[in-house]
This record gives sequence, C-alpha cells and structure tokens, in this order.
Amino acid sequence: MSYVLIDQTALPYSMELSFAGAPCDLRTNSLELARALERLSISCGDYGLSRFGMRVIVDGASREPIGEPHFRGLHHVVTASFGRSNLFVWDILRRTLGASVSATAAGDDRFWKEKLIPLTLGVLGCAIGLVPVHCACLETDGDGLLIAGVSGVGKSTLSMALCEEGFNYVSDDWTYMSLCHDRIVAHGTLAPVRVLPDAVMHFQSLQKHCLQMSMYGELAYEIDIAEAFGAQMERECEPRWLLFLERMHRAGTEFKPMSIAETQSSLSCSVERLPVQLPEAAATREEMIRSVSLLPAWRFRYGGTPQFAAKELREFVVSRRQEVYA
Amino acid sequence: MTSEPCRRPDLLRRFVPTPYVFSKCVGSNQICVESNDLEIALGIRRSGIVQRQGNRTGGLLCKVIREWTSPVDDSDISIVSDGRLRVLYLGTGTILIHDHERSEILGFISRNVKVPELVSSLIPALLDPGG
Repeated sequence: MSYVLIDQTALPYSMELSFAGAPCDLRTNSLELARALERLSISCGDYGLSRFGMRVIVDGASREPIGEPHFRGLHHVVTASFGRSNLFVWDILRRTLGASVSATAAGDDRFWKEKLIPLTLGVLGCAIGLVPVHCACLETDGDGLLIAGVSGVGKSTLSMALCEEGFNYVSDDWTYMSLCHDRIVAHGTLAPVRVLPDAVMHFQSLQKHCLQMSMYGELAYEIDIAEAFGAQMERECEPRWLLFLERMHRAGTEFKPMSIAETQSSLSCSVERLPVQLPEAAATREEMIRSVSLLPAWRFRYGGTPQFAAKELREFVVSRRQEVYA
Repeated sequence: MTSEPCRRPDLLRRFVPTPYVFSKCVGSNQICVESNDLEIALGIRRSGIVQRQGNRTGGLLCKVIREWTSPVDDSDISIVSDGRLRVLYLGTGTILIHDHERSEILGFISRNVKVPELVSSLIPALLDPGG
C-alpha cells in the first residue's frame, strides 16, 4: 500500500497564478512543475472570480507514464486517474485540486497545458464564477462569435475554416464565461483543437499530423491551431452573437432566429447536471446560461464545405455589424 | 421552446440511481447507507465500522456505487490524503473517498472487488487515521 500525504509542509514552492482569468494558488514540491505552470499562467484583468487552490506532490522517483484517463464524481468530489501514479482529486465545494503525480507527468508541459488546466477549469469553473459552456468561440475586431451544437456536428472543423477566413481563435469545444460588470467575457484555454478524422477531406494539411486517442475515447487529430494554421489566438473576448450549428444535405446556408427560451433550453441541455450538494455552483451556472441566452442567437444550418460556411459567416457578421451601426 | 428531449450527459456517473438505502440511528447520530447493489448496502450496514465512524463524527453518509463496466486491473492500494479528503484507489475502477469534515464516504467499486474485501479491508484502510 502506498500513502501520499499532500501537506503544505511537504510543498515548499508556492506561486500565485492565473488561468483564463481565474486566480490560482499553487503549492508543489517540484520547482520544475511550478515553473512550467508559471509559463502557462497569464496575468489578465480582474474578473471578480474566486480563487482556487492547486496542491501537487510529485514523486521524483516515479517514471510512470501518463496512462488512459478515468473520471468519476459523486457529490462535491471529482476524481481522475491517468495511470496508477497520476491521481487527481477536485473538491468543488472547497475549490481545490489535490494531485499526486509521477515525475514523467510533472515534466510533460503539454499534459498540463492541454489536459489538466482545462479539466480543472471545467470541474471547478461553476464554483469560481467561470462557467464552462459547450461552444467554440471565434473573435473578429473585438466581437465574439459563439458556435454551439451537439458533439460531432462540426464546430471544430468550422472553427478552423473561420480561422482561415481571418477570424481569431479563442476556444474550440468549451468556452469559459465570466460576468464582469454585467458584461459577459468569453475566455479560452490553451486546449488543442480536436477534429475527427474525416476533417482531412477539407484540410489536407492535417495529413501531417497523427491521429491519437482523445480523452473522450475517440480517434481524433489534436492540433495547436496557431502552429498548424497560423491562427491568431485571443485569450478572451466579449461575445456578440450565438449560433447553434446544424448540418443539412443540400448545399447552402440557413439562419433561423431563436427565441431566448429556445436558446436557454439548448444551452442547458448541453452541460452535465450538477448534484444537489452544489447549489451555489448550479445557481452561478444558471445565471450565466440566462445571460448568454440574451445574446442574439440563430440556428445556423449549412450544407457544403466548412470553407463555404465560413465565407457565409463572414458575410453574416459584416451584415450584423452594419445593422448595429446603421 | 424546443420540443427535443434533453439528454444531459452524466460522464462522471454522478447520477447512478441508488435504490438500496438503509438508514439507522446510533444514539443521536443518523447513519445512511446508499448503493445500487443490495449486497454492498447490506455488507456495509452489517459491518459495524460505519456505525463506529458515525458515532465519532455525529452522523455519516455512505454512498457506494457498484461499477459493472469500469476497467479491472491489478494494483496495490494507493491512498492520497489532502486536507479534509482522503481517497483510496485500488486499480483504475475502485475509488473510495472519505470527507471527514462532512462525514461522507463516497465511492465506486469495480466488479472484481468482493463485498467482504470492501468492508473488512478497503473501508478500514480509508478510515484509518494513522495510515
């Protein structure tokens, strides 16, 4: 039996970090990990978010690789393991992550950047005022475009096409929303864009990348969109419009306005239920979904290539702006 | 309003129904055992260890889910103790959590773990303050 005590006295390195606008108190016994996480931390504005704590103990002698992920949760606790030496426990009520990891995991910058930080914001988000919403976010001239839709509908593929069309990239599958002085702010993380294998039909350059098993248990390309497409990354933006993406067989596009109630219902259905033990987190999320539902929203259906849809969306955004300024 | 059915995901298996519920008063303390597996619920109720813990802490909730589909692999017990939480892992699929401040034992038990092992070995290891 092995026993790991995550005690402050065993964690001599402490730092104040910030991820997607959320302040984080890190304590660890690994200077290497502290420095790696400091490189991922971006100090941005004060969004009035609650602090969360990360306590990570690194077993310097363990070379155990990062294994397959396994997640479970009950009440206010969520656990994850990535192999037997990489164990994570989130306490949503107390806004903490406790972790025991191998030296291999501690030294893998991509693991923290692409998996652990986004996961932590996803799990603790509602408790700190940073609500994960299942949508992509693109930005153009300071205005945010949110693209929601069921998994597999092509949000990521369309996001890549929009980046080719000149939009800036904020986030892919999940966008983290905060309310700051009654304004919604959409935050991204550095999680990779995840697209299914058939996206290679529209983006030949994906052939240079390897398919890998994603955390969701499906084969996918996981790419850094800035590296792969030269896309400009934006950390945050103020969302102006919301689209619910759907596909259709015939070529063309359709924009059908959605009511606030329809938008709210669609957004609510796309997120996991929260247990009754987390009433404040549930209330925070409900308030955020209500706020996002007030954005002008459309059901956007298209048939044809994502590049075609991206051009149509570019025109759409230009015409919405002209309406605003007319 | 859309008429489409709302199928909200439960990726963490937080909402597995636990129809087997036993509630018991030990002195002034309430002890509640919940599970989706009758054998687990009965085994914990009979074990006595939960009663002793409940006596000390002023009530106790014990919610344990039997997992039929989680991975089964051999491994030693690992215990991670962080503040008010103590978590026991046995392989990938067996996870037991003790929140000593809230007096809750929560967990998932993989299909290869027998109830006697759960009540005589795993739960005592989870609750052992010296371990």
